[in-house]
Amino acid sequence: MSEGMVSVQGFRKCYGQTVAVKDISFTVQKGEIFALLGPNGSGKTTTLESLEGIRRPDAGSLRIAGIDPTHQSRRLRNLIGVQLQTSALPAAMTVEEAMLFFCSYHGVPVRNDLIERLGLGQKRGTQYGKLSVGLQRRLALAIAIAHDPAVVFLDEPTAGLDVQSRADLHALARELREKGATVILATHDMAEAEKLADSVAILLRGEIAAMGSPRQITAAGDRRTRISVSTEAGRLLEEKMAFPSAIPQGRTDGYAVYLSDNPGKSVGAILTWLDQEGDPLIDLRVERPSLEERFLEITSDQKQGALQ
Amino acid sequence: MKAFVHHLAYDFKTGIRDRSKLFMFYLFTMVFFALVGGMMASVNPGFKQLMLPAMVLFAFMCSALLNLPTFLVGARETGVFRSYRINGVPAASILSIPVLTIGVHMAVVAVIISVAGVRLYGGVAPQSIGGFILAGLLIYAVYAGIGTLIGVAAGNNTASTLIGQLIYIPSIILGGITVPLSILPSGMQKVALLLPATHCMKVFMAMGMPGSGGMPWISLAVLASSVVITFTLAALLFEWDARASAPSRKAWAALLAIVPFAVSAFVGA
Repeated sequence: MSEGMVSVQGFRKCYGQTVAVKDISFTVQKGEIFALLGPNGSGKTTTLESLEGIRRPDAGSLRIAGIDPTHQSRRLRNLIGVQLQTSALPAAMTVEEAMLFFCSYHGVPVRNDLIERLGLGQKRGTQYGKLSVGLQRRLALAIAIAHDPAVVFLDEPTAGLDVQSRADLHALARELREKGATVILATHDMAEAEKLADSVAILLRGEIAAMGSPRQITAAGDRRTRISVSTEAGRLLEEKMAFPSAIPQGRTDGYAVYLSDNPGKSVGAILTWLDQEGDPLIDLRVERPSLEERFLEITSDQKQGALQ
Repeated sequence: MKAFVHHLAYDFKTGIRDRSKLFMFYLFTMVFFALVGGMMASVNPGFKQLMLPAMVLFAFMCSALLNLPTFLVGARETGVFRSYRINGVPAASILSIPVLTIGVHMAVVAVIISVAGVRLYGGVAPQSIGGFILAGLLIYAVYAGIGTLIGVAAGNNTASTLIGQLIYIPSIILGGITVPLSILPSGMQKVALLLPATHCMKVFMAMGMPGSGGMPWISLAVLASSVVITFTLAALLFEWDARASAPSRKAWAALLAIVPFAVSAFVGA
């Protein structure tokens, strides 16, 4: 296997006596969207900031396109684009000035197209301090990708964004991938990671608890499929019926819920029974476990492990 | 270089756009000059000899001691420096550009004070314009260095304001700005040597004003050392990130900037 665009080997970072990240390793290939998932304090931002050259690792090796971010930070600057979780621009700096300012430091022409692309066209002359949080994050993203970096780091990129802005950002991340950029995303939004990422690492207390594609991670957990059924008369709720391969899980929002390891057989049996009972179907949902559910499963396993 | 020029132009523009900066650079210094310059000139005719150096020095202190550190601490604490760092803005630009742009504003202020002081209040004109300008440049560099160092070393803006005031207020009283050093008691004159303003006034008077005697070489050396020490320390102690707690231990190294002034007070010159 190649070294990859981003390589983390045995990375460890401590703050005083606290070990924030414990000897983690992963590799991200060129053109991949990689998500670091985990609750607050799990070590996502520390890992990202060390890769960005902001923090110095206590042990291990970090490489971006073969460059050591700790000791070759100058070479790194034009190679990476970063949207930090906590950062700011001067309050009096306008959108247009910000683009000119950072493009000149990266030595690239001003990217007015990105101002338009990210919906900031009407705000060119507005000062940073007068932009909404969502627009400030859009501007930070525009600046991060203005020099067409090979690796883009996005730390909680959709925090504080509305639905449309989130969708726009997801589209942009996919566009970056199509152009060959590698995107590294830190988020605690499981749905976002599941939708966007090619591969995922779940960090818990500074350690990688699971890693792989979202499908691989979910498949490694509880393999049962959730079947949720809503009917007009609600007979399934009254009778608490059992069906082949389906274990009743009670009711949720008017739906009778089952877990099945043979969903085809279970669904067939449920529909036949409803037909016999003359209770018309309103809604039927057949869902594989989500990344979020798998994440909760892993967290719960870790908690139990810690208690034992 | 192109990036540096853009940065410089941007910083200068915001100096004009930002009302609080405009107030500190121009309005505050001009109002002080209008009130104190006029009043002191009528109460104490001897002040006319001091007026131009004293008022220019006052303006430099206001901008560099009180405004510059606040800007640096604020930018660091709000994460502006982090944004700069990840986009390749060098620390040298971050530290030098505010010094240069405030310097331009102060040059404008110094010209206004010098012309208005002579025309409106009968202040004594400089004997040597070149000497006056050179002394002004050195003195601005002294305060810009101290202001930059305070901005780098102070943990927050409360601390930076306190440290700035700790130098600023005694300077107004003892530094030879409102009354000549020679009329202070000898003990106080020694204490006054701990203040940059005292040495600045000596050099300003000797280099630019008529009938001020020979060059105070020790004060000149103290000021030159101060410029070198403060900017070197600022570059060494510079930090990109907001501080979670008190200033780091190394921030205390900023106190080394006192050394030239302490030596001067010790030798009494």
